[in-house]
Amino acid sequence: MSDRENGDAAMDSRLRGNDGGHPTEARKHGEQRREFGLLAAIVVASPVLVGVGYSVLGALGVAGPGADGLGMRHVQSVVADGATWRGLLWSLWIASASTAIAAVLAMAVATVFRGGRVSDRLVRFMALGPLPVPHVVAALCGLLIFSQSGLLSRIAFATGLHSSPADMPALTNDRYGIGLILTLVWKEFAFLALVAFSVIARRGAALEETARSLGAGALQSFRVAVLPALWRGLLPSIVAVFTFVAGNYEAAVLLAPSSPLALPLLTMERFTDSALGVRGEAFVLVLLAMVVSIAGVAAHEWAAGRAEAGD
Amino acid sequence: MTPARRAARTGLVSVIAVTALLPLAFLIALSVSAEWFYPSLLPRRWTVENWNVLRGESAAIGRALSMSVALALGTGGITAIAGLVAGREIARLDGWRRRIAVALAFLPVAVPPLALSIGLQYSVLRAGFGGRLGGVLFAHIVPALGYTTIFFIGIFAVFDWKVEDEARSLGAGPRDVLIRVTIPLLRRPLVEAFALGFLVSWAQVPLTLLIGQGLVSTLPLELMSYVSAGQDHLAATAGLILTIPPMVLLVMAGLAVRRLRVVVP
Repeated sequence: MSDRENGDAAMDSRLRGNDGGHPTEARKHGEQRREFGLLAAIVVASPVLVGVGYSVLGALGVAGPGADGLGMRHVQSVVADGATWRGLLWSLWIASASTAIAAVLAMAVATVFRGGRVSDRLVRFMALGPLPVPHVVAALCGLLIFSQSGLLSRIAFATGLHSSPADMPALTNDRYGIGLILTLVWKEFAFLALVAFSVIARRGAALEETARSLGAGALQSFRVAVLPALWRGLLPSIVAVFTFVAGNYEAAVLLAPSSPLALPLLTMERFTDSALGVRGEAFVLVLLAMVVSIAGVAAHEWAAGRAEAGD
Repeated sequence: MTPARRAARTGLVSVIAVTALLPLAFLIALSVSAEWFYPSLLPRRWTVENWNVLRGESAAIGRALSMSVALALGTGGITAIAGLVAGREIARLDGWRRRIAVALAFLPVAVPPLALSIGLQYSVLRAGFGGRLGGVLFAHIVPALGYTTIFFIGIFAVFDWKVEDEARSLGAGPRDVLIRVTIPLLRRPLVEAFALGFLVSWAQVPLTLLIGQGLVSTLPLELMSYVSAGQDHLAATAGLILTIPPMVLLVMAGLAVRRLRVVVP
């Protein structure tokens, strides 16, 4: 039966007043819908599920380059390798520092410039400047500005602070990832500021007014009413930014140091190693990165649930 | 406002203006200059020759740009439609089925692209698509479809299903309902989903690198090779070209929001 005929049959049934007269068929239709829904979700996720499955097999030495028979050798060597944990901690440090600084700045700017003055609107517009800039371009900007012959170093020379590139502290490919953190702060601030502006626009004024009508002063109403709402509204985005930054490859490849090697760079290095035996370790690192992301998703869901409860 | 507070505020506005816009201004300056040696604050000469890489015999950026545009348009188009279909079906679920389906749709978004590339590389190579446009397009579609599906789950969560029921009661079949009722009603979200898919592909690095195996060169990869070759002026030019489409999409989204405000005060 064609779709059109199906529809005609449904219309006939309604015209005859038979709506809902076929409970078994209706149930069957509902069941079918549910199957479609789950099927659609499986189709969307299937390449990832295949990828995860392949990574598990690769980590166990059954598949992929460097497959040398079922065993835990790859897992053991990754776990025993100090570079793994240094890389993981370094990536988490970069993600924590850049997300925290960007979040604090976004909250501060959204709070200070929440009014309706021209300067408020101008700041809210300018703060979004880095939003459309892809991460790889943001990393390029970081490199061009913070490197020892970059814009900052030139300004320091012009103002007499430095007399050669060597006077400039190493801010790119440096041990603590200062240049990378500053770049990511610049990039992620725009996104977090956008969310913070929207939270304040949606709820800030009403909350502040309520607090004031209950006798709170300007500072107190901000502290007890606006700030908690802003934090709750921003938290899911903060978690999302943290997870994204921790797994980001392109910014790290341009700005991170070779020691310690950030987790995404270590993974890529292992996966492209000329010794095939080492490539199996990349699959273990992939699974480790996935664990970090899934923990991030769980935290995101928790934060989003809290934000909704607060709305 | 006291003069001290006004001064502090002006200072803050200036700091935000400089930090937000200076890096982009620097990129523009680099893309239209040459012979800009340390420690000069200004280049020795201004030129548009960096933009010549878009055309001519060695039009590396031009070729990479065409590849990026083709991939982004393909990814945007396919994932907008597929995301609508998947999101619509998932949004109709309830209870545990809905939770599982949403979590599954979230997977391609949550897994870092590098991890996804390594997991997918073998399957794509076995299928004979490694190092080819089709393989990279498929790889870009994977995370983009996650984003557009989640986007449409949100859209359909507030969708008025009664409109579809009305159409059905007037004799429209499922396909007619989708093509003649649902899709025309969702024209705006479809354009937004297209932009979302476009942007996921546009800025993609690890998936292109590993699935394309260096044979499919896009603008982000070209930019990275200019950086490693120390060609800052060309890297800046590529960076600017990469920034223009997202900027246009952002401005369009902003205008759309403003238009919406006129309609819905």
